[in-house]
Amino acid sequence: MYAQSINKAPTRNPLVRLKMACKANVYALCVISRFSAAIVGGYVFTAVFTSLLSLILPLSKSDAVLLSVSLTILIYSCVFIWVFAIKSLKTVWITILLTSSSCFLSIALLKGWL
Amino acid sequence: MKENFFRSMTWMHTWVGLLVCWLVYLVFFAGTVSFFRDEVTLWSKPELHSISKPPAEPIRIAQQREQITNGIAYLANTAPDSSRWRISLPTTREPQLVYAYEKPRAEGSKRFGGWQTYIINPETGEATAQPRDSKGGNFFYRLHFDLHYLDARTARYIVCFASLFMLVALISGVVIHKRIFKDMFSFRKNKGSRSWLDAHNVSSVLALPFHIMITYTGLITLIFMLFPYPALTAYEDGLKGLFNDVTPTNIRTKSSTQSAPLVSTDYILDQVYTNWQSADLTSFSIRDPNKASATVTVRASTADLVKDQTPTMLFNAVSGELMAQSAQELTTSEVIYDSMTALHTGRLANPLLRWLYFLCGVAGCIMIATGCIMWAKRIRERMKKDQTASFGLKLVESLNLATLMGLPLATCAFFIANRLLPVSTVQRADKEILAFFITWLAVALFTLFKRAKMQWYLLAWLNAVACISVPLINALTTKGNLVSYMLNAQWALFSFDLVCLVCALLFILQAKKLRTQLSPPAPNTRSNRVTKPPLMEQKG
Repeated sequence: MYAQSINKAPTRNPLVRLKMACKANVYALCVISRFSAAIVGGYVFTAVFTSLLSLILPLSKSDAVLLSVSLTILIYSCVFIWVFAIKSLKTVWITILLTSSSCFLSIALLKGWL
Repeated sequence: MKENFFRSMTWMHTWVGLLVCWLVYLVFFAGTVSFFRDEVTLWSKPELHSISKPPAEPIRIAQQREQITNGIAYLANTAPDSSRWRISLPTTREPQLVYAYEKPRAEGSKRFGGWQTYIINPETGEATAQPRDSKGGNFFYRLHFDLHYLDARTARYIVCFASLFMLVALISGVVIHKRIFKDMFSFRKNKGSRSWLDAHNVSSVLALPFHIMITYTGLITLIFMLFPYPALTAYEDGLKGLFNDVTPTNIRTKSSTQSAPLVSTDYILDQVYTNWQSADLTSFSIRDPNKASATVTVRASTADLVKDQTPTMLFNAVSGELMAQSAQELTTSEVIYDSMTALHTGRLANPLLRWLYFLCGVAGCIMIATGCIMWAKRIRERMKKDQTASFGLKLVESLNLATLMGLPLATCAFFIANRLLPVSTVQRADKEILAFFITWLAVALFTLFKRAKMQWYLLAWLNAVACISVPLINALTTKGNLVSYMLNAQWALFSFDLVCLVCALLFILQAKKLRTQLSPPAPNTRSNRVTKPPLMEQKG
């Protein structure tokens, strides 16, 4: 009894421990989700955005591609940082998904895939 | 992600940086050595040390003409049936003349058969002794983006993502750095992790434009692998279409079996020199020689232009007619793309600029090294007396020691193996590389057991000894040494030995510093007043 009271009491309580574990896991999940938003989401967005750019830039075909390709890394890293700068994870995912799909839609329209 | 922008960025900088720091350190280290790729390759082949540099302008043109004519005669004599011939002309960085032809391909195979090379001393026109089999600087060049023991494509993806993380860490590093100008001049000695932070800041800020440039352009060099999508969207035939568009000399004629004589090389060279007066040719190659479909590709050096695409001319080798030529004037987009690649590879650099590239690369290594050391130090400082180190902390400390101290040692092992392995060893080049990785593995295993100050101290001495032994073994096993290089003005070789000695000195200083820290308190106790950061690892 005595020893127990000296030990940090809350960690002994299984319920509290479970709660803490949950909290820690939620945090870990949030971090994983954010990293995947940055890496995968950022990649997808950059890919469709620059593809659209290469179609709409008023340059010759090869110039448009080279220019948009040169900008990819700038765009990717900006998106990456933005993902970490925004507080709400929901906003991040929704923005990425919406912008990427609208870019893709525009490409599809321009290329006449639809 | 955190309460405010500043804290989010700090959090991101720490974790994004820590996640890839060891890999990025390897990439920076190998990249820094690769700035002297040709010089390191030259050092690793002592058989070529006696060749002197090619002459200047007026003599050079006449000499190149003669070398090409002789080379074609030589190859026509030695390998009339080969499907490719190549003559690589001497440059200031690679003084040897090379005649090469493609070895016969395996029956029915379409795969390139590999080059059979003859190394010629351009002064005498005679073949030199076959140099030892060694990858030299090319090993570090490949290690820089292909890693090793890995499929090249996978490795490049890994390196790409690590570089992206690096770029993100750099940008967020600038964001979180409030007093960027003031900190450039502040270095607080003997203040524990504070000193490491200062070292981190100084090395990052001083060379910041370089760090951002080299990381960004590095990603650009692999961009068509990472982001082929713009090209895939704009062109029906994807990347192939783009490349054919931007490189007009990218024409392949269909091989024919009908034989036809080659036009005289003078006829082709006359056309080259009318178009490009005083061109510094680098190579002259023939595809399908003595066939009706034969073509000649002539390449010239870009010299010190910020341009990566080599000036190229493509001729029909039977009629001598010019088929295609690389664009003289690039469009703005092409310039943007091309100059970025040129800036990354640094082929444009004259010796002084090359050293600046090298020093900035070293600053990059220091930045990464101090960053990952700082993480471990901070956690240690925050730990309470009776707390034991977590697995994560132990892992980071092990990786720090293994990477930061192991890599220079492995590099020394590579160079020592280059001099000590018998020349006749089978697959010699691979064994040198094996020496590199075995040494590194040994250091890594060593750090698994202990990674305290004592181990840093031991490895610092080991590195110092290894760095000294490189020029020493070189002096004992070859005809040249530091003094003779200086007397003969062989500056590439001289600098190589000198850099080794400077590194040795730095490692000795590091060991001395660690010793003063080790002696007063008992080893392994970490007080809060950790002293000045010993000068970290340098290039080996």
